[in-house]
Amino acid sequence: MALPINLGNCKVGSNLKTKVATHSAVLLKRKWLSHKSFEIMISSPPGFQFEPGQRVGLSMGGHTRDYSIVSAPQEAELIFCIRSVAGGKLSTLLSVADMGAPVSVYGPHGYFTFRSTTRSAVFVATGTGIAPFCSMTRSGISNFTLLHGVRRQEDLYYANQFQQNAHEYVPCLTAADPLPQKAFKGKVTAYLERHLPSGAYDFYLCGRQEMIRDATLLIDERFPDSLVYTEIFY
Amino acid sequence: MKIYTGTGDKGKTSLFSGDRISKADAQIDAYGDLDELNSILGALAAHLATEEKRVAELQQIQSDLLQAGAWLATRPDSSATDSLREVTTDQIHFLENAIDRYEKELPQLNAFILPGGHITAAWAHLARTVCRRCERKAVSLITQSMKSQVTEPYQHLLVYLNRLSDYLFVLARHCNRIHGIADKPWKL
Repeated sequence: MALPINLGNCKVGSNLKTKVATHSAVLLKRKWLSHKSFEIMISSPPGFQFEPGQRVGLSMGGHTRDYSIVSAPQEAELIFCIRSVAGGKLSTLLSVADMGAPVSVYGPHGYFTFRSTTRSAVFVATGTGIAPFCSMTRSGISNFTLLHGVRRQEDLYYANQFQQNAHEYVPCLTAADPLPQKAFKGKVTAYLERHLPSGAYDFYLCGRQEMIRDATLLIDERFPDSLVYTEIFY
Repeated sequence: MKIYTGTGDKGKTSLFSGDRISKADAQIDAYGDLDELNSILGALAAHLATEEKRVAELQQIQSDLLQAGAWLATRPDSSATDSLREVTTDQIHFLENAIDRYEKELPQLNAFILPGGHITAAWAHLARTVCRRCERKAVSLITQSMKSQVTEPYQHLLVYLNRLSDYLFVLARHCNRIHGIADKPWKL
C-alpha cells in the first residue's frame, strides 16, 4: 500500500490526470516466486490504462489492498507481486483462489512514475517494493542504478529482468551466507552511504517506511541536490 | 497505515516534483497557507451544516484548493506539472456565478463594513483575509520563480484566489443576511 505525498493535509495523488474507475477482471495465473511471495496474472480490463510505477486497489471477497503493477502497459495482462502475509485476508485469498475467480481493479492511482532528467536515476527497493521498477524496466526505461534490499537470495526473483536495462544492479542482502556474486552484504542504506559516489541523482524509493525514512534522511545529508520520489509499502 | 513517515524530522520536506527543501521555504509557506484556508472553510462549513447547498459549494472550493495546492507544491520547471490538473476557467466561473447570485439579494454597500456579525459571517471574513494572504504569497512565489513569463496554469490559479476572496466577502454578507443581522458600517 502506498502513501501519497503530504501537502499539509492534502494528498497530491488525487490531482493526477489519470482516470480512476473500478474495473472487472479475472484471475488467470498464479506462480510462486519464493516461499513467501507469489505472482498473479489477471486479465487487463477493457479500456484500462496506466503508467509504469502506478498501483491499483485489488479486491476479492470484500477485501481490498493496493498493489503496484509489475507488468508494462503494453502487455496483454496485468501482473502483480504479492507477499503472503500471516493473517492477511486478501493475500491469503489470492494465494488459493481458483483460476477464473473475479477480481475488482480500482485505479490506477499514484504518481510514482519515471520522469526523465539529465541526472542519473537511482532506484531503491526493499522486498516487493521492486514491483514498480519491474513495470518501468519492462516498459523500456533503462540506464538506471537499482539497489534491491532483501533478506535472502531467493527473494531476488526478478533479478533477471534488470540485467539488460540497468546500468548497475546491486542486490543488497541482509541474511545471505554465502553472498552471491556482485551482491552487497547489508541494507540498501548502507550501500548508499558507503558506495554511491557523491553527486545529484533522481532517487526513486519504494518499500517499507523505515527504509524510506532512513534513505531520505541520508540523501538529504549526502546527496542534497537530488530529487526524491517515494512510494511507501506497508 | 502510519500517517508519519519521519522523513521530515530534520526540517526538510518533499515537493511533488521530488525536490527536498526546507520547511521554511517560501513554497512550503505558500501551500501551507492554502491548507490553513482550506481548514477555515471546513470550520465555516461545519457552522453552516444545515444549509446543504452552501456546504456543497464550500466543499467544491475545498477540493479546488487541494488542486491549487498541488501546483504550489511543484517546481514550475518540473515535468511533474504534466501530471497536475489545471485550475480551469469553469472553476473561476463557478465562483463568479455564486458571487453574482449572492449579490442580487444583498443591499448595496455605501461604506466599509466591520468583519463579523453572525458566527458564520465571522468565519467567512476570516477565510477571506487568509485567502488574501494566500494570494499575496502565491503572487510572490510565482512571479519570483517564473521571471520570464507566468504561464496559463499559474495565471488561472491567481485569478481563482482573487475571485475566491471576493466570493468569501459576499458569502459573509449573505450569512449575516439570512440570519437577520445587518452588516455594521465603519464609523469614524
